[in-house]
Amino acid sequence: MDRVQFLVALSVALFVVGLVGVIIRRNALVMLMCMELMLNGVILSLVTFAQQTGTVSGAVLVFLIFVVAAAEIAIAIPIVLLLSRQRKTLDVEAYSELKG
Amino acid sequence: MNLLTVIVLLPLAGFVLNGLLGQRLGKPFVSIVGCGLPILAFLAAVRSFLLLQGGDGTALVETAYTWAIVGDFSFDISLYFDRLSAVMTLIVTGVGSLIHVYSTGYMKDDASYARYFAYLNVFLFFMLMLVLGRSLLVCFVGWEGVGLASYLLIGFWFEDPEKAAAGKKAFITNRVGDAGFLLGMFLVYHTLGTLEMDRINAAYSGDVLPAVSASLVGILLFIGAMGKSAQIPLHVWLPDAMAGPTPVSALIHAATMVTAGVYLVARLNGVYLHAPEASQLITVIGASTAFFAATVAIVQTDIKKVLAYSTLSQLGFMFVALGVGAYGVAVFHLYTHAFFKACLFLGAGSVIHALSGEQDIRRMGGLAKKIPVTFVTFAVATAAIAGIPPLAGFFSKDEILWFAFSSETGGSTLLWLVMSGTALMTAFYMFRLLWLTFLTPSRMSHETEHHVHESPFSMTGVLIVLAILSAIGGFVSIPHFLEPLLPMPTAREALEHYETSLIVLSVVLAVVGLAGAVFVYRAGLARADALAARFPRLHRLLSGKYFVDELYDAVLRRPLHWISDRIFLGIGDRFLIDGSLNGMAALAQRAAGRLSRVETGSLQLYVLFAVLGVVACLAWMWRNG
Amino acid sequence: MSLESLLLYLFAAGALLGGVLMLVARHPMRVAIALIGSMISLAGIYAILGVHVIAVFQVLIYVGAVMVFMVYVIMLLDVRDPSFTSKYSHLLAPGLGFGALLAAVLAYVATRSAGPAAQALSAAEPGASFLIQPFSADFLREYWLHFELTSVLLLAAVVAAVAVIKGGRRNDG
Repeated sequence: MDRVQFLVALSVALFVVGLVGVIIRRNALVMLMCMELMLNGVILSLVTFAQQTGTVSGAVLVFLIFVVAAAEIAIAIPIVLLLSRQRKTLDVEAYSELKG
Repeated sequence: MNLLTVIVLLPLAGFVLNGLLGQRLGKPFVSIVGCGLPILAFLAAVRSFLLLQGGDGTALVETAYTWAIVGDFSFDISLYFDRLSAVMTLIVTGVGSLIHVYSTGYMKDDASYARYFAYLNVFLFFMLMLVLGRSLLVCFVGWEGVGLASYLLIGFWFEDPEKAAAGKKAFITNRVGDAGFLLGMFLVYHTLGTLEMDRINAAYSGDVLPAVSASLVGILLFIGAMGKSAQIPLHVWLPDAMAGPTPVSALIHAATMVTAGVYLVARLNGVYLHAPEASQLITVIGASTAFFAATVAIVQTDIKKVLAYSTLSQLGFMFVALGVGAYGVAVFHLYTHAFFKACLFLGAGSVIHALSGEQDIRRMGGLAKKIPVTFVTFAVATAAIAGIPPLAGFFSKDEILWFAFSSETGGSTLLWLVMSGTALMTAFYMFRLLWLTFLTPSRMSHETEHHVHESPFSMTGVLIVLAILSAIGGFVSIPHFLEPLLPMPTAREALEHYETSLIVLSVVLAVVGLAGAVFVYRAGLARADALAARFPRLHRLLSGKYFVDELYDAVLRRPLHWISDRIFLGIGDRFLIDGSLNGMAALAQRAAGRLSRVETGSLQLYVLFAVLGVVACLAWMWRNG
Repeated sequence: MSLESLLLYLFAAGALLGGVLMLVARHPMRVAIALIGSMISLAGIYAILGVHVIAVFQVLIYVGAVMVFMVYVIMLLDVRDPSFTSKYSHLLAPGLGFGALLAAVLAYVATRSAGPAAQALSAAEPGASFLIQPFSADFLREYWLHFELTSVLLLAAVVAAVAVIKGGRRNDG
């Protein structure tokens, strides 16, 4: 298997692990971190292909993704904070207002 | 020249005008339109008759409208005027107009005056369609239409549930007959390819006989005639139909509608001449109806019911004539019957009007001096129906008796005996009616007696005209007039010389009937009540009209009601239909309840579903390249 | 096997190990550390690939800002709640099952076709545009608009964060 295939397989693996983590872990913060792992998996595949083309646009895109990820986490964590303050717990199984 | 179409459409115009505008424009308008248009129709009929006579004898045919074209067959609304149609049309429009004029007096104080005349006009329209129609289809439209008009008019005072029920009974009984009519029509159309009555006659009179037997067609169409003309076993509606206003009884249930069956058989004589089984059936049913109705009429106590059973009996006479092949004679009796029966009914109406609504003859009597015009006209009509010469009824009834005795196609001594017995009873009960109503000492209540008054001229004038016609109408020899169309049956050679003796015998019978009635009823009801006490069971049987209504109720109505209630309502409607609908709704509800368990509110579950979806999409893409 | 490919395998293993540890660890702090480890291994992979700029950004921004923030938050929150005692949700089995299924399908689809030019598992030349200086020059010359837009985005994020916390504070009273 050549390098690209290997790296893409790794990217898939990281993505799936992150997704499984979102589904099976109960702590809200851990869920957020698993989502970060998913994002990293995708960035890895983007970098692999960007490196292949050799132009600067790939790298720029990756840079912008970093920025967006930072902004996203900056908002997500305060939201989780407030939710946990309301419910007095970080357990996502307690958040079920969408039931029915 | 669309003269025939004009005849038919004039009453229809009357119906539309009276129906839509009558209530608003008041009684004078309704009277003028309601009576004037039928009179115009009568004049148009006279003109058509003159045209027919002036021509070479072929019938006048007009195609008013082509209703539908199916394949090579076109259903036309075409009108046919030959001698038979001429007689019928003149009777319908003539007697009809007279009864319309009478109604202006009789129904003067009724609130639904406009509706009454609208219905009467629509009846006339349909009746004219019936007698002028060329094809069985047009005839059937008129047939159903007069049934409808009859229902509307019998139940005219529909606020009384009994009267409304009488209307329903008439319509439903007619419907049973119509089933036979329809089957006959289908059969004819299927084998002969045409519904036009002159062509049907030609098909059966030709050399090559059609595939379906004439008897079958004849019997089926006769079933329709049985319903419309109230023969046994479909006779039950006619006595109840007396619930309607008296002019309606006169027009519809004496002069015109009930004779539609007679007209149908007479028109299709080409079929019946070659249908011995059908003719025998007609004879038997006609004779039984005539005889049994006469027996019931002897004990009836309502003036209109006596006349109703009398009508049944006379219709039986007409059918006997048709059964033995004397079609022209039947139409002759139809013609004379129209005059004297209408006169009798309208006279009864005049009596009822004079007594402010009293209809029970046990509470009448002594009216001869008080309402003389009514009395004289009633007496003339009674004599006519009893068969006293030289009044009209004598001629027609006598011819029927002669052919019942001597016709080669169905005549027999037994038949003649039955019919003569019926004639005797007819004379008896009619004179009984006359004596009890007019000539016995008064049994009226004081209140009623005080208010007795003669009817207005609009009513008595019509009575006078009809009485004169009952007297002299017999001198117009209808059978000879119709002979080119409706051949007379051949009499058995051996019996030819009995003719005169039979005439004498029938006159004797009429006189015997008169004498008997006078003997029993001269002083009132005392002798009759004593006789009834001596034969109580017979009296009860006759008063109960042989309990036919009760029989139908037990055998037909109750089982049908049970079936409708238990099976169709209980099982079919509630269980099957409602149950399945409710079941589907409940199913939907339960399914939704189960499915809503998917929404647990758990985000992780939703993510899992998203993963599932992605897997499915990818797998599908993978499989489909 | 060259050194580069060995290092590549090592760092790949490290990334995966970090991911799996994230699923298994109970304390969120340990999860955070595992994630940091995973990210640093990824930065290593980027370096081996020759995209130095991105490797640096990975460490600086992702590890240095995002994960540090995460660690602070974990430290601030009390973690003795039901999610600590039983760390897995009720969807453990179906999650693992369908995850495996997804991995299989994705892997098959992703690795079906070979790249345009099959390159050996070796280090690559650092492309000219992936060094700091040429990258920044090209970046700010051609993509300056996107740069400005991201600064707007960041501003929006700052405002949102402040609004969330202020609103939260008001609710708490």
